[in-house]
Amino acid sequence: MPRKTMTRSLLGATGLAALLGLAPQAFAGMESNAVAPVKNGASQVWVTLTGDDGGTCVVHHSVAKAGPVTFTVINKTATAITEVELLSNNRIIGEKENLAPGLPTVSLTLTLGGGKYQIYCPGATKELQDFTVTGKAAAEPAGTTADIFAEGTKGYAAYVDGVVDAMLTSTERLKAAIDAGDLAKARAEYPLARPFYERIESDVDGFILPGFKATDNAGNLDYLVDMRTSNLDPKVGWHGQHALERDLFQTGQITDQTKQLAAELLTNVELLDKLVKTLSYKPEDLANGAADLLEEVQSTKITGEEEQFSHFDLVDFAGNVEGAQQAFAFLAPGMMKIDPQLTERVNAQFAIVNKLLDTYRDPSVPGGYKMYTAALKASDGAKLSKAIQALQEPLSKIGAKVATAS
Amino acid sequence: MTDEAKPGARPDRLSRRGLLLGAAVGTLGASANLTAARAQGADQDDIVDLAQAHPFYGAAEQAGIKTPQQRFTFYMTFDLTSPLRSDLQVLLARWSAAIAQLMKGQTIGQVEPLSTDAVGFDTGEALNLGPASLTVTVGLGPKVFSESYGLAGKKPALLRDLITLPSDAMLPGLTGGDLSLQVCADDPQVAYHAVRDLARIAKDSGTAATRWTVMGFGRASAGKGQATPRNLMGFKDGTRNIKEDADFEKHVWIKDAPAWQRYGSYQVARKIQMHIENWDTDRVSNQNSVFGRHKVSGAPLTGTKEFDPPDFDKTDAQGNLVIPATAHIRLAAHENNGGVKILRRSYNYTDGINQFGLLDAGLLFVSYQNDPANFELLQTKLGASDALNEYISHIGSAVFFVPPAPREGSYIAEGMFD
Repeated sequence: MPRKTMTRSLLGATGLAALLGLAPQAFAGMESNAVAPVKNGASQVWVTLTGDDGGTCVVHHSVAKAGPVTFTVINKTATAITEVELLSNNRIIGEKENLAPGLPTVSLTLTLGGGKYQIYCPGATKELQDFTVTGKAAAEPAGTTADIFAEGTKGYAAYVDGVVDAMLTSTERLKAAIDAGDLAKARAEYPLARPFYERIESDVDGFILPGFKATDNAGNLDYLVDMRTSNLDPKVGWHGQHALERDLFQTGQITDQTKQLAAELLTNVELLDKLVKTLSYKPEDLANGAADLLEEVQSTKITGEEEQFSHFDLVDFAGNVEGAQQAFAFLAPGMMKIDPQLTERVNAQFAIVNKLLDTYRDPSVPGGYKMYTAALKASDGAKLSKAIQALQEPLSKIGAKVATAS
Repeated sequence: MTDEAKPGARPDRLSRRGLLLGAAVGTLGASANLTAARAQGADQDDIVDLAQAHPFYGAAEQAGIKTPQQRFTFYMTFDLTSPLRSDLQVLLARWSAAIAQLMKGQTIGQVEPLSTDAVGFDTGEALNLGPASLTVTVGLGPKVFSESYGLAGKKPALLRDLITLPSDAMLPGLTGGDLSLQVCADDPQVAYHAVRDLARIAKDSGTAATRWTVMGFGRASAGKGQATPRNLMGFKDGTRNIKEDADFEKHVWIKDAPAWQRYGSYQVARKIQMHIENWDTDRVSNQNSVFGRHKVSGAPLTGTKEFDPPDFDKTDAQGNLVIPATAHIRLAAHENNGGVKILRRSYNYTDGINQFGLLDAGLLFVSYQNDPANFELLQTKLGASDALNEYISHIGSAVFFVPPAPREGSYIAEGMFD
């Protein structure tokens, strides 16, 4: 949720300027190379957005002294500009979003070392403007936002390893039940083996086994583990978890072929386990992966397509959400530095989704969630979809904010 | 970023500037006979100019009420999902900025962002389509004026939920809403793009979620200077609609109210399903009696031309009323309702085919009035006795306060946050 300083007491542009002994009107159209004035220990840089010339971003001082710099942004009439960012080497150092004409002035204070920066006003006729900080370049101290993100991606890699380890164990148990021909036990083990892949599938869905073409589903690890009726490739046939779901819940029979499918699945999960240990992630991979997992919720869980025979869709739903939330959590410390409002908004929407999911918990059902029956889909599908939509839009903004220059 | 994706870039007006005559007069490829047949009764002045733009900012009413009615609409209502006053404020401000862009035929931001990991600000499907006379009219539902937003004291005097009316057959999911967008344009894709990108802003800011929507494919009311169009029953609709300034001042605009409400209005939206197959098997003489008009000419049954005033007292040789007691125009006429008039701005809609294989279509009735009770008065009468009720069902309903247009540098309803 945006928690800008919305109170009128913070004054409009003119009021605050008068308080500071400045006259922003005097700057209008006068992009000054003079060094920004310092008040209360912070350099004061005004940014005024106007609708002139299709959208103009006036930076009243393009030079400031190293140290704290306060950017004060007012959108007077620029309908095309809703964000202002400070960039360094294409990396976002800080930003203000949700700017629109009529809203009160907002400000942002950053401690900047000497060097070249850019002020980025997406949507303005001139989108990028140079901004120079004079004085000592900040030594690359430990604990920059990039370092925090790098730590986060390592933490996330460890999380993924842990998830696939658990998937391996649960798949072994499922296979054992199938090998024993114990249908009831296999049906109970199936939902316990499912959610792990749903937490991390966005990280591995492009992996092709050695020797196969990218277009051949016979070598597509995601297909071999997680294919469904809806993406069945008749040339390659049924494989993986949903082939077992079909046998256990639709035909209700464990055949030799079922056992063969379980053995093949275990082999592929072992392969997956080795594969994920070799993966490393960029911050944007986490953000984009989280967004992809939520797309999965919308396209295959809310529709009831994922578990069409067993109806454990809410188990998978929870798995996707957990995976997305974990990925985001590893980015959150860095995101708090770049855009705390957006970070809080995403956190708040995750909380709403989780609270809603909690209402479907049912410890008496294997997997821990109610069956996603046709009746439940009809009555609750829209509610679930709306909660995810409200999370998807803000989460989709994270990728660009954490990406560093290539 | 391409030039096209820049909000400041103008669409290529020449190539897109479509001058479509209302009835295919003289269009290429039409045979002479066909042209002659089609041209009969065509309104030569009814021209669609896709380069036409209406201003969003202003000193009086929002666009989309008095604006000459466009060909297509998307009407959508939203539920507020955030309890924070500041979120509502940001949403109205961002919607206002975006609508100002859209009505100029411009994108609301980058379509192809600079960063490879960024999602687009604008979804892009209206690039180069021109403004197409787009208007987006924003309405505020009764729940906006609640304690939680600190707006309980700002509630427009006459805003409230509509009373239950005779023959109401409301379907769950087609009623109410905290915010409404009435999006109208002469190109359906321009209208759809606007509602889509505005819905996206609502979700992105975590402030509102979609509730119900109707897509209208053909206008069913006329504004000043427009020939009267027809509803899906084949009848001219809105012959006696409000057209003159004096009537707008008297019946449509809110005048005696705080400054931020002046030149606002109350919007009533009703989704009216038509039982088309039944209607089509009704003899036309009976259809004429149901409406009280002749189907082709639109003339009242007591007259010969569309705009002849109906004579509600006239009887035939047997002493029966020529315009029957239950005829639609008799019950709706201002002469029979204490002078009450409402502005209608309706559209024909279809939802395809229903579960029984019947055509699922009807009228998205939208009216503007300075008191929702005026709509209730008319619909109470119509819902109870209108001969048309046999062929229609009111299945959706909502009421909103539509604030005046913001001035440049401000946003819709900014004044209520003071």
